[in-house]
Amino acid sequence: MNNTISDYELILRFIKGEESCFEKLIHRHKNKVFAYISLYIRDQALAEDIFQDTFLKVIQSVKAGKYSDNGKFISWVMRIAHNLIIDHFRRIKQMNTISNDNYESDIFNSKSFAEDNVEDDMIKRQIQKDVRNMISHLPDDQREVVILRHYAGLSFKEIADITDVSINTALGRMRYALINMRRIMIDKKISLTID
Amino acid sequence: MKPMVLISTQFITFREIKVKDIDLIEDAMCLNTEFFDVIDLLRQINEVPERCLTTSLIKKIRKKV
Repeated sequence: MNNTISDYELILRFIKGEESCFEKLIHRHKNKVFAYISLYIRDQALAEDIFQDTFLKVIQSVKAGKYSDNGKFISWVMRIAHNLIIDHFRRIKQMNTISNDNYESDIFNSKSFAEDNVEDDMIKRQIQKDVRNMISHLPDDQREVVILRHYAGLSFKEIADITDVSINTALGRMRYALINMRRIMIDKKISLTID
Repeated sequence: MKPMVLISTQFITFREIKVKDIDLIEDAMCLNTEFFDVIDLLRQINEVPERCLTTSLIKKIRKKV
């Protein structure tokens, strides 16, 4: 039955004092939020910090009465995550210590895989690594649309709202991203199987 | 002379159109069909936060609330 409770209903209950309701919201949306942040940031430790900061900020805003429901709680959370990521890159730019392409890191050590078969596991890891690299080679605006659509599960309307562009621009960026990724797939011979 | 047969696409009612979890704008652009190979690859990544990360977040929230 709990699955049928809307996000807004959970927020209202949380405001009235039912702490567990916010925990339900976290469990409901954590994967999308984490996928967006970790694919965008790529530094595992930093992604985890921003993931936690996002939900802490959500709580602050909810408590301060800043959330008004329009049925799009998740896209509001994504906007908060998006702003935190932008703040992070702004800070880096101000510090002028790290360039954008200098945050290569391997985050596979934290991933759990269901298969027992070691070979399958290795193949899967290799494909995932290739796909992550493929995404990371995209220009920022294209990468963001891909992550928001395919990993955060937002609609193009929501993506357009978050990134402050028109739906047509968001669609155009997605098309270019897909064309670019296909080109990378062919160049690097990336496929779902390894020769 | 052969009788005429219906060769056009069958009419489907509004209720039969599946729209759940489908972005109609994306669908209209046929992105998923045109780039099925790239999208299949994208589906190989499943980013999930570790359980301890979620647990520590919930602990922080409990302290704050």
